[in-house]
Parts: sequence; C-alpha cells; structure tokens
Amino acid sequence: MAAELRSLPLVAIAPEVRRRERNRRLIGLGLVAPAALLVVGFLYYPLAFIVQMSFTLGSSYLSQAGPDYSTANYAAMASRYLPNVFITLQLAALSTVVNLVFGFPFAYVLVRRIRYRDVVRAFMVFPMFGALYIAFGMRFILLPGGPATPLLQALGIPSTAVLYSLPSVVFAMSVFTFPFMVMNIGAALSNVDPTLEEAAACLGARPWQTFRRVLLPLTRSGVIAGILMVFGWNIGTFAEPILLGSLNEQRALAWTLYQRGVVQTDYGLSSAMSVVLLVIAFVVSYFSLRYSRGALVE
Amino acid sequence: MSAANVAAAPVGPMPAERARRITRRRLTGLIGHAYVWLVLIVFVLPFLTLLGYSVSGPGGTYAVQNFQYVLGSFGDNLWWSFRVSGLTLVINVLVALPAAYAIVRYPFPGKRLLFSALTLPLYVPGAVIGISLVLVYNFSYHLTTSIWGLVLAMAVGTFPLMLTPIVVALRDLPVSFEEAAACLGATRWQTYWRVVFPLIGPGVSAGLMLTFIIVFNEYLVTLFVHPPSVTTGPLRVFNLVRTAGLAPTTAALAVTMQVISFAAVLLFFRVFGTRYLKGTYLI
Repeated sequence: MAAELRSLPLVAIAPEVRRRERNRRLIGLGLVAPAALLVVGFLYYPLAFIVQMSFTLGSSYLSQAGPDYSTANYAAMASRYLPNVFITLQLAALSTVVNLVFGFPFAYVLVRRIRYRDVVRAFMVFPMFGALYIAFGMRFILLPGGPATPLLQALGIPSTAVLYSLPSVVFAMSVFTFPFMVMNIGAALSNVDPTLEEAAACLGARPWQTFRRVLLPLTRSGVIAGILMVFGWNIGTFAEPILLGSLNEQRALAWTLYQRGVVQTDYGLSSAMSVVLLVIAFVVSYFSLRYSRGALVE
Repeated sequence: MSAANVAAAPVGPMPAERARRITRRRLTGLIGHAYVWLVLIVFVLPFLTLLGYSVSGPGGTYAVQNFQYVLGSFGDNLWWSFRVSGLTLVINVLVALPAAYAIVRYPFPGKRLLFSALTLPLYVPGAVIGISLVLVYNFSYHLTTSIWGLVLAMAVGTFPLMLTPIVVALRDLPVSFEEAAACLGATRWQTYWRVVFPLIGPGVSAGLMLTFIIVFNEYLVTLFVHPPSVTTGPLRVFNLVRTAGLAPTTAALAVTMQVISFAAVLLFFRVFGTRYLKGTYLI
C-alpha cells in the first residue's frame, strides 16, 4: 500500500493522506470518548442539574405542581448565609497562609539540603490519606483526658477552648494540604539553578535579599500554583470544622450544604450553596491550570 | 554581613572569620534538618496517637481485642472499601489508558480544553460532587441502591489522578519504539501489549496507587452517595466519631485503614521509586 502510494505523484496521494489524517482524528476522538462520557455523565451533567435545581424552592422540584422557580436561594445566600461563605473563605485563606509560611522553607530544605528525599516523601503521604484521620487524631489529642491535657493544664488553658476553636481547624486543614504546597514550590525550586543563589551571595546579597529578589521571582509560578491548589482544596473542608470547630467554624459551606440538602431535604438551598462553592472552585482551578498543568498537554 | 566582608576583602577571610562561617553554615543546616523532621513528626502525630489509643484497653492495658474487633465487627466495612476501590481501579484503568494514549499520540481538535475538562474533577469540592450526584441519582439515573453509583462517583473524582501519570509516562516514551515495532511486523495490538504497555507500566502503577489510597480512604462523597446497605471503612469511622464519641475500636479501624494505605505506598516506592509520580501532586 505504502509502496504504491510512493510511486504516485503528490496530487494523486493527497486525498489518501487527507483521509488517513481524518481517520486518525476519528480514532483519537473514539479513544477519548469513554473518558468524556464518564466525566460528562457523572460530573458536568450533575453540575448543570444542581445549577438548575438551585433556582427552585426547597424540594419543590419533586412536587406534583412542578418546580417552583425563584432566586430566593441566592437571596438567602447573600443575606442569611453570608457568614457561612465568609467563614469558608476565611478558613481556606488562613490555612493557605499557614501552608505558605511553613511550606516554602520546608520545600527549600527538602530540595537543596536533603539527600534522603524518598523517606521524607513517604512520610508526607500520611496527610493524603484524608482530613478525616487528621481531624480524628487531633480531636483525640485535644479532648479532655487526651495526651495534650497535662500540657494544657500546665499552661492553664481549658481543653475545650483549644479543641473547639478556629486555630485547631486551621491547623488540621493546613496539615492536610501541606504536601500540595510543598510539591508545587519544590517543583519550581528544583528548576532554579543553585549557582544563582551563590552568585547573589557573592554580589553581597543577604539571605533575605536573595530570597526576596532571586528565589521568589524565579519560583513565582510554583508558589502561585501551590496557593491556588491549597485554597481550592480547602474550600470544600468538611470533617475538620465538624470534629474540631466551634459553632462558628461548623458553618463552613460544605457541611451546611450536607445538612440542608441531605438531612433537611432543602434541595434548592443546598444546590445554591454548591453553586457558590463551585464558582469559587472554578475560578481557582482556571488560574491553577493556567499556571501549572496546562504545560502537560502541549 | 559575612558576604559583604568577603566582597570588601577579596584576598579571603581570616581563619577566625572562616571558622565562624563554617559553624554558622553547619548550624543552619542542622536547623533545616530539624525543621523538616519536626514537620514530619507533626504529620504522623495524629496517626501515632491513634495507634497508641487503639492498643489501649478499658483499664489502660494493652488490648489486641480492638483489632480483632476491626476484623470482626468492622470486617464488613473493610471488605466494602476493598471492593469499591477494586472496581474503581478497573474502571479508571479502562477509561484512562485509551484517553491518555489519544491525548499524547493522536491529533484532534480542542485537545487542551478536553484535558482541562478531564482534570477538573480534582478541583471540584467533594461535597459538591456528592450533592450533585445524589440529586441526579435520585431524580434521573435511579442509581441510589446500586453499588455502581458509588463506584462511578469514586471513578469520576479520581480519574485525573490516573490520567496524569499515564500521560506523563507516554510523553516520555519516544514514538520510535512503536514505529520500530510496526516496521518489524507487529500488529497494532501486539505493539500496544508487548511494547507500549510494559514501558508505561510504572506510570499506570502510579495512577493505580494514587487512586487506591484516595478511594480507599474516601468518606466525603461516600457519605452522600453510598447505597443504604453499603458502609465503607472511612465512612464508618466518620459516623462513629461524629455520633458515638471516641472509642479505641474506632481508632483501631482508622489505624488499620492507614496502615493498609501506607503499605500500598511503600510497596510502590520500593518497586518503582518516586520518579513516576511527577506531574501528580506527590511528585
């Protein structure tokens, strides 16, 4: 086949080449089809469904009279449930800051100074098993009678003041997402030539100046990707606020939408909360993909 | 300050100054290592305290009964976790392999957009995936009582974790291997099974490992979409911690789940190393 084609003039084989090109395109689309079906059927269609649902009142979507369309859910989001949105953003932002402050030095030491990196990576897997175990463990540590009680008594702090508080929730969330921050910054750092730091030192820069003027600009994309990823993951925080938070932190959106939607069957309101979370997550992921993953395809 | 001194005196620092600099460098190195280990201890602290708690009995004695309880009363939950993870792994491999191959090797329009659309599930909060699926299962798919509803929910959430390492592995594999196989007379399937698949094996395994540890420990989406008859291990932990307070047996279940997951990770590290995890969030 190929030999016959080669002996023909270019004009004659052009349709054949074009046909093959088209076939390859079709095969490619065919190979991607199952993945596309899975994602459309079990992510994008359901998301479109809750967007529609968020404009119906309560559980009226099910009623005989047909759905009762209104924007009341979003009005409630903007008034009664505004503190819930606020605390969700606050928790995610605080844990992102904690991760950034503790994650950059960690990533730096890990990339530049440590030879037993695989051991560190193996340890860093633990938070990935889930926020649930972290929250469970911390709850046990902090509960009255737990391992931390003698220390807290020595300091004169009541256990419950630490257990059900904003810092303990933020701490658990930070532990959960710390590896993501470290991996994003670490990937960027390992692309920076160490001699640049030495050059900066030779030119008289102090460590802080080297960090501020050399390292930070060169790892900017990694730092931003890490911030976005951690923020995006922590937006949907669920177990930490319930197990470790006071009533204020328990208003976090993910937990509230579970309560309203599944327990109290107020599907409309619950969907509206999901849509708010979703919009935040999409904005974050848009920038995140622009900064990190987009490079994988081209 | 030392750097400025060096710039001023290019002949080289005096011995005392140099000794001081070396001590300082050693000290910062030490602080760096200490810092990393401190953070790592904080990471495993919840696990270690749960481990300690799980072997404590009513009178503060060592108790293996707690773990017997895990295999007995919680055995069903563990078994469900394994079944759901296994089914999810099969679906993920079957779906991600051809998709990754097409993304790397075939030209088609809108590839970048498609890849973004396929990796987006990672960024959608679990509770949102959960509520949207439970509503759709109730009102249009009628999947609420089937385990496949749960499995497909897991699959869509972890699918990007499977896709990314395979895409990375395929990208590192030159097309010339396949071309050579084709020149030597291998059919398309032979090329695929005897050349491509073994060479991207570590990438596939990385995806399998990541999917396993996430699905095996997933409680959030499960809480929304699990069929009434199915309670996986982590969901049992969540329910017990939330409603029944703390018990050593619950801690024992959580410890068992983590130990199994960690064993999977260590096995992967031992066999393939960490090289194939690049591009995923473990590096």
